[in-house]
Amino acid sequence: MSRTKIVKGKDPMQAVDALYAAGPSGTTVAAAQIRLRAALRAQAPQVYYDVLPRSTLGAVYLAAGPDGLLAVGLATDEPGFVRRVARRTGATPVRSTERLRHARQQVDEYLRGKRSALQIDVDLSHVTPFQRAVLEAARRIPRGTVITYGEMAARLRRPRAGRAVGQALAHNPVPILVPCHRVVSSGGELRGYLGDRIGLKARLLKLEGVPMLGNRCRIAGRSGAGR
Amino acid sequence: MPDPTFEALVERHSEEIYAYLWRLLGDPEQASDCLQDTFLRALRAFPRLRHHEHLRAWLYTIAIHRARSLLRQRARHESRQRELTDELADPQASVGQRVAERETRRRVQAAVERLPSKQREALILRRYQGLSYGEIASVVGGTAAAARTNVHLAQERLKSWLQPEDGEGRLRRRRGEA
Repeated sequence: MSRTKIVKGKDPMQAVDALYAAGPSGTTVAAAQIRLRAALRAQAPQVYYDVLPRSTLGAVYLAAGPDGLLAVGLATDEPGFVRRVARRTGATPVRSTERLRHARQQVDEYLRGKRSALQIDVDLSHVTPFQRAVLEAARRIPRGTVITYGEMAARLRRPRAGRAVGQALAHNPVPILVPCHRVVSSGGELRGYLGDRIGLKARLLKLEGVPMLGNRCRIAGRSGAGR
Repeated sequence: MPDPTFEALVERHSEEIYAYLWRLLGDPEQASDCLQDTFLRALRAFPRLRHHEHLRAWLYTIAIHRARSLLRQRARHESRQRELTDELADPQASVGQRVAERETRRRVQAAVERLPSKQREALILRRYQGLSYGEIASVVGGTAAAARTNVHLAQERLKSWLQPEDGEGRLRRRRGEA
């Protein structure tokens, strides 16, 4: 078998074909595939999700990675939630009742008014540094109180960034756990919650005992409901 | 690897992509590294992929970018002549024959690796991976006509460079034609 010989008068491409056409041996391919699968197993981020099907806010979807809860889905459906989590994390979430049991139980109790605080780790590694600062500040707002976008901006020492604060909260990946519902407009009006889901924001504030008058709420330290 | 769709992608295309990288890089180990790199990148990008119709071409594109990057590094840091394999050697052949065959393989591989990268990529994709000129264009960029030209030029160059050793060939080399 002299497959790679270059013979005078013959097409030299035959020698090229002899080396390249057959390709790697089955053993070489198998070894490369074994290495590949091991690398993929080691690298694939593990993200799981589950749903609390019937809460006072409707279906609540929860997704968690190794560092904590990284997405809460309200007013969405399962494919939409899975797509959103996948886009943010680069992983395809897998449904797991077991892995979300603890978080789902706490959120359920919270929404039924049987629990006043959530003790769940939150993973904010997939947001921008500014948004993380805003969300961390929102987590420090005590239950049952509200502040305005402007006050939040001032707390972050960015007094002119009220609008940017609003945008950062509008894209809060973990509503309820990061209580962006406790931030309202300067007149106490409820604005911008998951688009136009003001009703969900009002329900969360009522649950926490915030005095409401229609779509307005009382801001701490001010008299009357709203303006 | 939790996503069954991606798992199916690995099952369906990893052998083909590996074979391509093996031919393009001329080094089984580096082809294996590049295969991992290709699929890890694909895994990260996969959830954001909206259309799943052209996954094969998509994988080829990632593989080519990874291979080009590796070849650039190799050009800067390595000078060794690499050898595709000894698996092709005939176990029945005499020592002299084996030495001659090995020398021929090295010569062929050196000639293929000397081709401009677009010609080498197009030649391998067309002749050994079975992609159409249109598919090659979508994978490496450019038009189908350009892909056809690149394949043609690659073949012509290889034929010219790999003429058998004789007086004529030596004469051509002295003239700087090969």
